[in-house]
Amino acid sequence: MNSPFGTQKQAGGRRTMSSGASNAILLLPALSLCMIFIFVPAMLAISGSLYSYGLTSPTRDFVGLGNYIKLVQDSIFWVSLKNNLIIVFGSIVLQIGIGCVLAAILDRGITFGSTFFRTIIFMPVIVSAVAVAVVWLIILDPNIGMLNKIVQSVGLTPPSLGWLGDPKISIWIVLGVAAWQQTGFMMVLILAGLQGVPQERYEAAALDGARGLRAFWYITLPSIRNILIVAVLITTIGGFKVFDFVFVLTKGGPANATQVLGTYTYLQAFTLGNLGYANAIAVVLLLIAVLIGWLQLKVSRQA
Amino acid sequence: MMSKFRITKIALYGIMILWSTFVLMPLVWMVLASFKTRREMFTAPYDLPSALTLDSFERAWGVGLGWFIANSALITVSSVGLIILVSGTAAYVLARAKSVWLRMAYIAIVVGFAVPVAAVIVPLYQMVSAAGFVNSYVGLIIVTSAYGIPFTVILFFAFFLDFPKELEEAARLDGCSKQQIFFRIIIPLSGPAVASAAIFQAVFVWNEFLLALLLLNSPGRKTIPVGILQLQGEFTSDWPAIMAGLSLATVPLLLVFIVLQKYFVRSLAGLGK
Repeated sequence: MNSPFGTQKQAGGRRTMSSGASNAILLLPALSLCMIFIFVPAMLAISGSLYSYGLTSPTRDFVGLGNYIKLVQDSIFWVSLKNNLIIVFGSIVLQIGIGCVLAAILDRGITFGSTFFRTIIFMPVIVSAVAVAVVWLIILDPNIGMLNKIVQSVGLTPPSLGWLGDPKISIWIVLGVAAWQQTGFMMVLILAGLQGVPQERYEAAALDGARGLRAFWYITLPSIRNILIVAVLITTIGGFKVFDFVFVLTKGGPANATQVLGTYTYLQAFTLGNLGYANAIAVVLLLIAVLIGWLQLKVSRQA
Repeated sequence: MMSKFRITKIALYGIMILWSTFVLMPLVWMVLASFKTRREMFTAPYDLPSALTLDSFERAWGVGLGWFIANSALITVSSVGLIILVSGTAAYVLARAKSVWLRMAYIAIVVGFAVPVAAVIVPLYQMVSAAGFVNSYVGLIIVTSAYGIPFTVILFFAFFLDFPKELEEAARLDGCSKQQIFFRIIIPLSGPAVASAAIFQAVFVWNEFLLALLLLNSPGRKTIPVGILQLQGEFTSDWPAIMAGLSLATVPLLLVFIVLQKYFVRSLAGLGK
C-alpha cells in the first residue's frame, strides 16, 4: 500500500501503527502550520494582486495585470527594490567582511580576552531591531545626537538635514545600523567554521612559507567556503526580509528614499489601503524569496 | 622579528578594541542616559549622570512596560515550545524519508524560510482577522510559530542526519513505533540540538515585530518591540524615559546572554553544515 507519507513496510498483522500513519502524525502539525500561514497567504497574495480593493471595501474589482503595469511605472517601487539590493550587498560586504576579519583575529590572532571580545561583539544580536533602532534614532538626532558631536569634534560638518533626513545618505545609515547589530552574528558563525580548520593545514602552509595574511587567503578562506556560502545566503535572505530597521528609523522617508519592498508593501496596504497594489509589490518580494530559497536548497546538505 | 610580531599583536588588539567600543558605546549610553533628568539630557547628554534618579524608570514603567514584558514572556515560551515540538518531529520524519512526497515536503519547508512576513502580510492579516484571532494571544502564538518552523526544521534535519541509526534499528526490532522511537530515544539524546534551536527561536520570537504589531495591538496586549515603539511615540522628547524603557527591556536579556553565551555560540556552530 502506498500512502503519500511513505510505503507501509510492516506487513502481517502486527499491532503497531503503519509507518505512513506514524509519519503523518509526526509531520503534519509542522507542515500544516507552514501551509496555512506561509503558503496559503502566498497564493492569496498572488491572486489578490490581480484585483483592486481596500481594507474595508466589500467588493474586489478584477484588474488583471493592471497592478503590475502600475508597478513597473512606479518609481518608489524601483527605489525600494534598489534599497533592498543596497542592503543585501552592503551587508555582505560589511557584516561578512568585518565578521570574517574579527573571527580570524579571535581564532588565531589573539588569545588573551578573546571570550570577552566575542561576548561584547555578539551582544547586540539578541537585542530587538526595534530597540536598536530607537537607541540609534537618539544617537543620530540632528540636534544633540552623539554622532553629530563626534563628527564636529574632529572638525567635520554633519549633514544639515540630519543623518536620516538627507535622502542621499539615509539608506546608508540604515545599512550601518544593521551592520552594528548583525556583524557579531556573522563573526560567531564564521568563527565556528574557523575552529574546524585542522591545525596541520596551517603547519603545512607555514613550511611552504605561507603565514599571516597569505595563510588567511590561501588556507583559511578556502577551508570555510561552505560556511561563507551559508553566511551569504542568510545575509541575502535577511536583506530582503528587512522591515523593522526601516520602519522605526525612517518609516521609509525622507520622501520614500529609504523605502524597501517590505515597508512599501506595508505603506500601500495599511496606510493607504490599496490592498491589491500592496499584493503586487509583495509578489515581487515573494518571487525573489522563492528564488533564494531554491538556491539555499541547492547548497544545503541533502540526505 | 620580535618587534614585528608585537606590532601585529597590537594592531590586532587595536581592531578588536575599536569594534567592541563601537558596539558597546550605544548600549552603555542607553543605560547611563536612563538615570539622567530631562534637563541634564539636553545640557550634558554624554556626561555621567550627576545623581542616580530613578524617575525616568517610573515614567517608563507607567506606560505598561510590565505588561509588555509579561506578554512577550508568555508568547515566547508558548511559541518556542510549539516550534520545537512540531519541528523536531517533522525533521525526524524528513531526515529518514525516502519517498518523493516527503522530499517535496522538505523542499517546501526550506523555501518557506526565505518568505518574508511582509510579502504575505495582507492576506495573512485578513485570514487571521476573518477567523477572529486579531488581539488574541493564541492567534499570534500560532502564526509566529509557523514562521519559526522552517529554520528549526533545517537545524534539526542536519542534526538527525548525523544521528546513529543503530539505536533506532534496535528499538524498531523491539516493536517501538516511530513516535516511541522519537520521544524515548531521539529526544533524550538530542539535548544540544534542542537547546540551540530553542535559543535561536527564543531570540526570534522575543524580537519579532511585524506580526506582533498587526496581530496584537490592544493597549494591554503589546509585546516589548511594539511597546517600545509606543514608548518612543509617547515620550517624544523625554529621552531618559525612552532609554529607561529600553534598558528595562534589554538589559535583563543581555545578562542572560552573558551567563549563557557559551551555549549561544555553540548553537551557531551547527549552522554551517
